[in-house]
Amino acid sequence: MKFLSFIAAAALAAAGTAFAQGGPNDAQIAHIVVTANQVDIDAGKLAEARAKSPEVKAFGKQMVTDHSGVNKQATALVKKLKVKPENNDTSKALKKGGEENVKALKKLKGDAFDKAYIDHEVAYHEQVLDAIDKVLIPNAKNAELKGLIEKVRPAFVAHLEHAKMLQGKLGK
Amino acid sequence: MTRGVPLLRRAGAIVALASAAGAFAAGTKHTVAIDGVKYVPETITVKRGDSVTWVNHDPFPHTVTAAGAFDSKDIAADGKWTYVARKPGRYDYICTLHPNMKGTLVVEDAGARK
Repeated sequence: MKFLSFIAAAALAAAGTAFAQGGPNDAQIAHIVVTANQVDIDAGKLAEARAKSPEVKAFGKQMVTDHSGVNKQATALVKKLKVKPENNDTSKALKKGGEENVKALKKLKGDAFDKAYIDHEVAYHEQVLDAIDKVLIPNAKNAELKGLIEKVRPAFVAHLEHAKMLQGKLGK
Repeated sequence: MTRGVPLLRRAGAIVALASAAGAFAAGTKHTVAIDGVKYVPETITVKRGDSVTWVNHDPFPHTVTAAGAFDSKDIAADGKWTYVARKPGRYDYICTLHPNMKGTLVVEDAGARK
């Protein structure tokens, strides 16, 4: 699982370097936001179905609900602003990392699944928050797009704290 | 004109219902917005008998939970929840889904005037 956390970290670290020439534009930021949420929705759905611990199951369910809510809002905003989300290397790396995570998780069961899922959630939310602070918020030009990211940020902090709490429990 | 009697009765029933509604709405109505994963305002002070409605403007559910006192359970995106403050006291509450959200409801005794 350390390896998967590394992939997530690398994908999001790429967000900081891939756009060295002035950072991502709003169309790319919108695409990154939607992709980052979708990756966590996919993992959450798997956890909802396969997790052993009821707490991990509930966490997975909440990830699906919260990140779907953010994406619904992001999609509505993009439509309103008439911005066409633009695929980019960061989105591609996120998607690839997400698919590899799901693939690896599908091979696991019981406690091993719960631990691997939660370990990844901790690393993923840490990296997403890092990308929000260093790449997405500083580069977003449109005030509403920037506002959306700023407004949902504290929820991701809560998710990270929740995942860390579960990580501590599972480690015992 | 037998039709007049039921009409009058109906009118009486409407008046009775209206005054019943008036009795329930005796307290002041307050609103707390849930926006950007925050309660706005974070602290609200009301009189006993007042009602407080939390309105969730975020795109995902939140709760308004003061252990042992009140619990909204999940308030859906764009949903709301109303609580009638009947017991004076200071209630610190959180969102159980995002426990970094904190708020306080202060309920003053309606008789106590400053």
